[in-house]
Amino acid sequence: MVGGYAPATLEKALRIRAEETVVPYAGGTDLMVQNRKNVEYLFLNKIAELKQIKVDKDYIHIGALVTFTQAINDDKVPQIMKDAISKIAAPAIRNAGTFGGNLGNGSDKADSVLIEFAVDAKVRLMSLKGERIVNVEDFCITRRKIDLKDDELIVEVLLPNKPYKNYIYQKVGGRNSLAISHVAFAGLFEEKDGKIQEFSAAFIADAGRFLRFKDIEQTLIGKSKKEAKNLKDKVIKAYSDKIVLTAGRVSAEYRKTVSLNLLRDFLTWFGV
Amino acid sequence: MYAIKFILNGEQTEYTGNAGDRLLDVLRDTYSLKSVKCGCKEGECGACAVLIDNTLINSCCVAMGAVDEKSIVTMEGFKKTPQFKVLSDAMADFSAVQCGFCIPGMILASHATLLLNPHPSEDEIREGLSGNICRCTGYNAIVKAVKKASEEGDGLW
Repeated sequence: MVGGYAPATLEKALRIRAEETVVPYAGGTDLMVQNRKNVEYLFLNKIAELKQIKVDKDYIHIGALVTFTQAINDDKVPQIMKDAISKIAAPAIRNAGTFGGNLGNGSDKADSVLIEFAVDAKVRLMSLKGERIVNVEDFCITRRKIDLKDDELIVEVLLPNKPYKNYIYQKVGGRNSLAISHVAFAGLFEEKDGKIQEFSAAFIADAGRFLRFKDIEQTLIGKSKKEAKNLKDKVIKAYSDKIVLTAGRVSAEYRKTVSLNLLRDFLTWFGV
Repeated sequence: MYAIKFILNGEQTEYTGNAGDRLLDVLRDTYSLKSVKCGCKEGECGACAVLIDNTLINSCCVAMGAVDEKSIVTMEGFKKTPQFKVLSDAMADFSAVQCGFCIPGMILASHATLLLNPHPSEDEIREGLSGNICRCTGYNAIVKAVKKASEEGDGLW
């Protein structure tokens, strides 16, 4: 075709990616809004292996071309992810938008990527030279800057395979549908033998990047709920010090207040 | 170089233009399918929605290269179906059409909603139409019309 490539296999796609200057095209819902001129697209939608959702002992593998609608309807996808992607835009966008595209677009407000941050997901990248598996927090550097080399393609997202029983996901936007997050929050909480075993809190706050502070999280790991309760104000203050926001679509003060409110609600919800 | 081949409203079609061209523009300007409205070009209004392989997609957010070997239905094609007749009658019953600009996208979104769930609740209808903005009706009449269509068209979806 004129002005683009539509290979049927990943191998062919990687070859084109290595030899030509192309823009990988997954669902198109962000790319077409950007309306780039004089680019050649590498259309990935004919590559069946990128559209699969698989589970093994360690990971839930979500192919880069899996659409949000496909994932919402797949039992293998954890509910925490479904909660987030169900609130992306509206059906016509969810029918086209993909996991790979959400990552590749490099937005700091990508709803699926927030969950990937909260659960310590990894991203599998491939080139003709081989593959790289990187932590999502390393892949997403800052807004519009991702760790993807010119000859690489995003192949799949790897979510740790675990139950995700105790979590909270909240999205605050200007409206119910077609909303871009002003603030969004995803948190995981697990207890074992009366001690906090897992505590993870990830934020979208229009901060230029996703926010997660593992050093603060560590201060609660191994504590009982009672001990954690005594530390609660200190923990929230630590987040308050770290969440430094500047001008955005809505005021920095509003976004910070909402972020901390969601954090406090999350802790309260799980008895802290 | 090969042409982009797809089925457009039931007819095999070949497009020899650029793969990066926007489906919305090509449908309107190359194939004169003027039911496909250009509202926002950002995927936010739903006025350009079409069915691609029976799935609702905003044509402003699709490049031509992505429709190779796909089947596209616009309102011009959909209006020949019995489902359209049911939806059209129901919309008329509730005076659900005012200026009409959103209606092609709204009808296709209604059809897509009913394809997935032939007997949706009001909430499910509102969710199905949540990507289609209407500035005239306030939505209630449209939602009632889709509900009625789901009853009158029992068995069609």
